[in-house]
Amino acid sequence: MQPPPPADKLPAIVLDQVALTLSSAAGPVNILHAVCLTVPAGQTVALTGPSGSGKSSLLMVAAGLERPSGGRIRVAGTDITNMGEDAAARFRRGRVGIVFQSFHLIPTMTALENVAVPLELNGVGDAWDRAAAELKAVGLADRGHHYPGQLSGGEQQRVALARAMGPRPQILFADEPTGNLDSTNGEAIADLLFGLNAERGATLFLVTHEENLARRCQRVVRLESGHIVADEIASLAHA
Amino acid sequence: MNSLSLAWKLARRELRGGLKGFRIFFLCLLLGTAAIAGVESLSDAFLSGLRDSGQTFLGGDVAVTVVHRPATQQERSFFARYGRLSNNISMQSMAYALRDGKQDERELVEVKAVNDTWPLFGSPGLTPAQPLADILHCEDDGICGAAAEQTLLDRLHAKRGDLLRLGNASLRVIAVLNSEPDRISTGFSLGPHILISTKALAGTGLEQPGSLINYTYRVAFTPNAEKRGATIESFKADAAQAFPDAGWQIRDRNDAAPGIRRFVEQVSMFLTLVGLTALGVGGVGASEAVSAFLDRKRFDIAILKSLGADGRLVFMTFFLQVMAIALAALTLGSAIGATAPFLLAHFYADSLPLPPALGIYPGPLLLAAGFGLLSAIAFSVPPLGKAREISPASLLRETLTPDRTRIRPVYLLAAGAAGLGIVGLMLILSPSPLYAGGFLVGAIVLLGLLRLVAAGLMWALLRLPRPRSPLVRLAVGDLTRPGAATQGVVTALGLGLTLLATIILLDRTIGAEVNESLPSRAPSFFFVDIQPDETAAFDHAIAAFKTQQDYKRTPMIRGRITSLNGVPSAQAKVDPDVKWALSGDRGITYATTPPPGSVITGGQWWPANYDGTTLISLDQEVAKGTGLKIGDSMSLNVLGRQIDGRIANLRKVDFRSGGQNFILVLSPGLIDKAPHSFLATVRVAPAEENAMYMAVTEKFPNVSAVRVKDAIAQVNSLLQQLAQGIRAASLVTILAGLLVLAGTIAAGARTRLYDATVLKVVGATRVQIALIYVLEYGLLGITTGIIALGAGTLAASLIARQILDTSFVFDAQAALWTVVGGGTATLLFGLFGAIAALNARPAQRLRGS
Repeated sequence: MQPPPPADKLPAIVLDQVALTLSSAAGPVNILHAVCLTVPAGQTVALTGPSGSGKSSLLMVAAGLERPSGGRIRVAGTDITNMGEDAAARFRRGRVGIVFQSFHLIPTMTALENVAVPLELNGVGDAWDRAAAELKAVGLADRGHHYPGQLSGGEQQRVALARAMGPRPQILFADEPTGNLDSTNGEAIADLLFGLNAERGATLFLVTHEENLARRCQRVVRLESGHIVADEIASLAHA
Repeated sequence: MNSLSLAWKLARRELRGGLKGFRIFFLCLLLGTAAIAGVESLSDAFLSGLRDSGQTFLGGDVAVTVVHRPATQQERSFFARYGRLSNNISMQSMAYALRDGKQDERELVEVKAVNDTWPLFGSPGLTPAQPLADILHCEDDGICGAAAEQTLLDRLHAKRGDLLRLGNASLRVIAVLNSEPDRISTGFSLGPHILISTKALAGTGLEQPGSLINYTYRVAFTPNAEKRGATIESFKADAAQAFPDAGWQIRDRNDAAPGIRRFVEQVSMFLTLVGLTALGVGGVGASEAVSAFLDRKRFDIAILKSLGADGRLVFMTFFLQVMAIALAALTLGSAIGATAPFLLAHFYADSLPLPPALGIYPGPLLLAAGFGLLSAIAFSVPPLGKAREISPASLLRETLTPDRTRIRPVYLLAAGAAGLGIVGLMLILSPSPLYAGGFLVGAIVLLGLLRLVAAGLMWALLRLPRPRSPLVRLAVGDLTRPGAATQGVVTALGLGLTLLATIILLDRTIGAEVNESLPSRAPSFFFVDIQPDETAAFDHAIAAFKTQQDYKRTPMIRGRITSLNGVPSAQAKVDPDVKWALSGDRGITYATTPPPGSVITGGQWWPANYDGTTLISLDQEVAKGTGLKIGDSMSLNVLGRQIDGRIANLRKVDFRSGGQNFILVLSPGLIDKAPHSFLATVRVAPAEENAMYMAVTEKFPNVSAVRVKDAIAQVNSLLQQLAQGIRAASLVTILAGLLVLAGTIAAGARTRLYDATVLKVVGATRVQIALIYVLEYGLLGITTGIIALGAGTLAASLIARQILDTSFVFDAQAALWTVVGGGTATLLFGLFGAIAALNARPAQRLRGS
């Protein structure tokens, strides 16, 4: 029997027959149907598809924010399928970073404090110094003491990116990270996202409906009505 | 279409959404209005019951009471001209159980001797239900019948058919006395009642000159007399003309029990003030609810404004909505309050001092609705005025910076006028405007103080070094963010908790005074009605006890002050605090030397051998309240005779001593010739108390022995009942505070859910998130509790020292309860409100956004 491969060589994400059914007033709604997907560590993957195809739901399930109705999920070598809410939260610390379309910063905390939160929850000793460094990395070194309400949309998304990258996650999930931004800001955020990801070697799982953004990933998976309908490896020139 | 009808049209559309967002506003107004409507309805029901049954409670259309002496034949003829007459004689005495012809256990009783026409109205409750004449009938062997209260029989271990001794006579208990129709008008009694005939009383030998006996003559106007124009007013006028110096106390059916009436009025005033406090607390919640509602409506307002609606239309649209909901709350609150007399009569019929006249009383309901409406205006207009001023651009902008929009003065004036309306209405309707005003001013000052403290807390938290722990930082952030619960909770819950803390601390202070301080300085016994020929033997009997001390025997006679410097007492302008001194019979004594322990504060004491015209030594507080000075004249009526005197000196009387305190001490010469008895007080060690009681009552059956500790226990039990009622009523304000707390928690639910979701996404567990709420609400609750305790202590100590004239007692346990109770309630409500945020799956919230 062969020894298991080291964690960093394990696939970052393994989705096996993953299904998701949500209840609604009109009856159950099947969002995902037996989705199978394996993302090797360090790969950049774009998940595309029309609105309502289940892209964001697949990201939620993969990030441990939603429990699937069926199938199995392994993230960074750990089976998170049946993890409780608190266990999933603990699992995410330091392993998983998430960036949302709506930024989701805590309004009562400054930019610096927002970035520091996951580091502090993870027990990092120099959380504030690291948070400051992360803010510097996204070009907001001088805005650390500003509250989200005092920042523009683009700046808020940079803070969100710094927060996600701060704990040096193995996997970075991004759900339409440029969806709420104009083209200039969107491009700047995309550059930061791919730049930081390349620099740190994290796996990127990007949900987007923007073709340009998807093309910057090594792999493009297309989802329609909860089914994977296409899974293409893009040319390295686009990576 | 004018702007008002357009505003109403828009308001109606908004109202289609139901009460959503207005639940707390609705409940706060409902609670306050229901509390006031309930209290005022009950008060009207009791007062109305008192008026409706005035004849029965008084026992006639008019009742004339004379102290120390029976009415003369001439006086009785005068009464009889008006109608049917009944008379009763009441006094305190000792009743003895007779076993094998010997006196056994004994008890202080209130003897009521009635003639055969008593009662003119109603009937006594007797077991067995026999005609009263049969019960009180005197047998050939001279033993007369009696009806005694069950309490007396229990204490004497006697039963129906047993013999009792009263003075020199033996009486047989034929029936148990359950009720007397005119009991309520006789007031507080130290002992259980025993009903006998006037013939039986004559046999007891207790009717001695100078004994403390009340003779009451009740008259029921006959139709014939009424035809001749007999009315209460004509009776009083004729009596004043025919018998100007009779010294009568005349009461009539319209005010049969003035003491009870005053009690009902005072308690209802206090409870209405409590209700107003609840309305004030609720008002804070209402204001917060309106602010939160308008905050959620920012987008709608922005759209309305961008479509051309001016600020006035926006204000009117939302003002009409708020008023429509307020009216619904006021109507329902008044309806709930209207049921209070029915509920009380149904559930507490047996423990009520008098039956309420059941009915719907529109006055109290309108009053409660008026208070509710004014408070709705006072608290909702400022946030509505603020919403009017916000420009469409700023409404659409997501901002977390504090809103510094200025409210137009007209709205502040409108809110202020409504607030003044509440104060004015209360002052006009209150029987004691001074106390009501003091209460309201105190509450308003406290409200301002609490807001200031809350603002100070937020200011301080913002300026503290940022906590390193993200959990503490979040808790602090929640407490200081714009729209945080801090202001609402500290103000609303703080006001209710302060009231509760004040009541608990005052209760403790009064309890300590009655149960600890008073017994430590008061005598052990009061002995009443010692006859002049018994004094030497009595002194001797007391001297036989080794531990007796502070023995004081003083002549005493009852009399009333009839005029001050020639102005009749009824017309004299006096301070309400000393009105009692002029309103009835007072104990009067005479002395050659100043009473031991008294301090002369003005004038000179008369020489020991003085024998001239009557000189008076007057209590300095009464002198101050009546405006009397040394050298002024005063007339007294004693035993139907007028005594004119001149004030020679003023004395400081310490009523807190619990001993013999006479506001009037006269020089000997005239007063000592009137028939009078003696009053004695003595302290004795507890071990000898019972022996003294037995010895004195055995040897002097005509002397009434009042055991001070029994009297204190009786007073204490009454105080406890009152305190319990008031404490329970004050919980209404706590309930209002909790409603406000629930409201602010509900208002912050979305924010809390958002924060919890983001924290879960970045790796926080539910325990960690719950810890934030524990910190947040724990800090809020404990701070509120500490502020309430401080304000409550200040209020209670002021009331104790300035109004009750007693030393304030701080009760650490009560203090702890206020702080811990406030903290726990806030914490539990906070955590309960946070359950939704803790349990929500992050994906649900994220999907929603």
